Amino acid sequence: MGLEMEPLLLAWSYFRHRKFQLCADLCMQMLEKSPYDQAARILKARALNEVVYIEEIDVDQEGIAGMILNKNAQVPRPGTSLKLPGSNQTGGPSPAVRPITQAGIPITGFLRPSVQSGRPSTMEQAIRTPRIAYTAYPIASSSGRFFRLVMASMLTSPDGPFINLSRLNLRKYAQKPKLAKALFEYIFHHENDVKTAVDLAALSTEHSQYKDWWWKVQIGECYYRLGMYLEAEKQFKSALKQQEMVDTFLYLAKVYISLDQPVTALNLFKQGLDKFPGEETLLCGIARIYEEMNNISSTTEYHKEVLKQDNTQVEATACIGSNHFYSDQPEVALRFYRRFLQMGPYNSQLFNNLGICCFYAQQYDMTLTSFERALSLAENEEEVAEVWHNLGHVAVGIGDTNLAHQCFRLGLVNSNKHAETYNNLAVLEMWKGHVKHMGDLQRSYIAAQKSEAAFPDHLGT
Amino acid sequence: MPKAAGKRIRRTFRKKLSNNSDMAEMKSMFREVLPKQGQLSVEDITTMVLCKPKLLPLKSLTLEKLEKMQQAAQDTIRQQEMAEKEQPQISH
Repeated sequence: MGLEMEPLLLAWSYFRHRKFQLCADLCMQMLEKSPYDQAARILKARALNEVVYIEEIDVDQEGIAGMILNKNAQVPRPGTSLKLPGSNQTGGPSPAVRPITQAGIPITGFLRPSVQSGRPSTMEQAIRTPRIAYTAYPIASSSGRFFRLVMASMLTSPDGPFINLSRLNLRKYAQKPKLAKALFEYIFHHENDVKTAVDLAALSTEHSQYKDWWWKVQIGECYYRLGMYLEAEKQFKSALKQQEMVDTFLYLAKVYISLDQPVTALNLFKQGLDKFPGEETLLCGIARIYEEMNNISSTTEYHKEVLKQDNTQVEATACIGSNHFYSDQPEVALRFYRRFLQMGPYNSQLFNNLGICCFYAQQYDMTLTSFERALSLAENEEEVAEVWHNLGHVAVGIGDTNLAHQCFRLGLVNSNKHAETYNNLAVLEMWKGHVKHMGDLQRSYIAAQKSEAAFPDHLGT
Repeated sequence: MPKAAGKRIRRTFRKKLSNNSDMAEMKSMFREVLPKQGQLSVEDITTMVLCKPKLLPLKSLTLEKLEKMQQAAQDTIRQQEMAEKEQPQISH
């Protein structure tokens, strides 16, 4: 006779240990025995939700149609818009030194799953903006949204959803706030059924007599997902009046950014900082807005404030490091990137950056080992191509054009969409042509043309 | 003898001086001409420039989780497709 834990308690234990799949499976077994066990149902919903949960604050939802067909003011005053950041450039390296993305924004030190500013002006440009997750360019979150709409539930419950949303009596659940909250999160994050979620939220808000700030925030989130930004703004403001919470400030700021009102968002953040002084997420939010407006000096100032509060913050460290590098201070940049070796991420991008900084800071002993580590940690071919491209630069720097040639070719082998590599290969071919004989310049010209097609804004081409 | 040499040296020195002054006089004969009107041609030869080395941006946790889930989902779909392909083959 064995002593077994009571199944629900065991499932709870799995949940607290973050073994969500085990928890969900155990709950499924319990539900097969007694289908009306609400505790098991809700626990399973929460477990499945945790598997696919993503911080909504980090994610901007805007498809191509939203970008082009929005009804916001088309002629903003200078310095008040995220669409025209080029006019606000204050401090920071010129685009000739710092690589820019296809949208014309300098490459940032840190990537989030959000639509970066520089919203495209034409449909053609919008379609051309890369939407895959693997590039070093800011990605549009439509990949994230598509994934969530189609695949999230497939991933966790391949046999189909275990809660039938169409047959759910929302009014009944709205009477029980604790159940309703867990159910709402499941519907919103896992099933992505925003309409049902907003119905549930509306009924629950009614039931709580409009006194529960949480439901207001959730309704606001639903409206944001549906693209109804002004309604979302109202909900968040109302929630803030009732109870000021950091998350609400962040959500409301996200709404203002989507409405292309960065100054309003900045004022909101400052208001939040009055209430929550030194709050790292708010400071980070301010820094992000300044970065999107191309105001590098303010960005650095606020990132430093973030680091004063939390000196392990990855985003701030990475951004300051990249700003220093492109301002011709590779040694300082190296200090910031070395910080990550003590505490932070361990991936190909970090070692690539360490390698570049070491080389330009003249610490040649660490350069190649860093690059070797970067190559071994690369997760996909695009990353490998980037590392080979940078290795090619190192080779050019030491004067070994043959090695540089090989590096660039290896980069192209891994990814034939890498425009900079094409360009550099073309330049090398030209140099070779001048030094030796008037050789195969046709090839170099074609390579440069390809890079121009792929990267039309680039100055070097 | 030394006196003569000394005289000779002085003479040559004087000669050089006089040469210099002659040169200055000759130079002053050439006036600098800086035209204030007329066409100006500038040759701008474009040279090919290497693209700069690129620092790769680090990814946030959210982004990494999204990518992982995306990858897992794509693998699941691929497996399902493989399974579906095998089924008709088995049935035949």
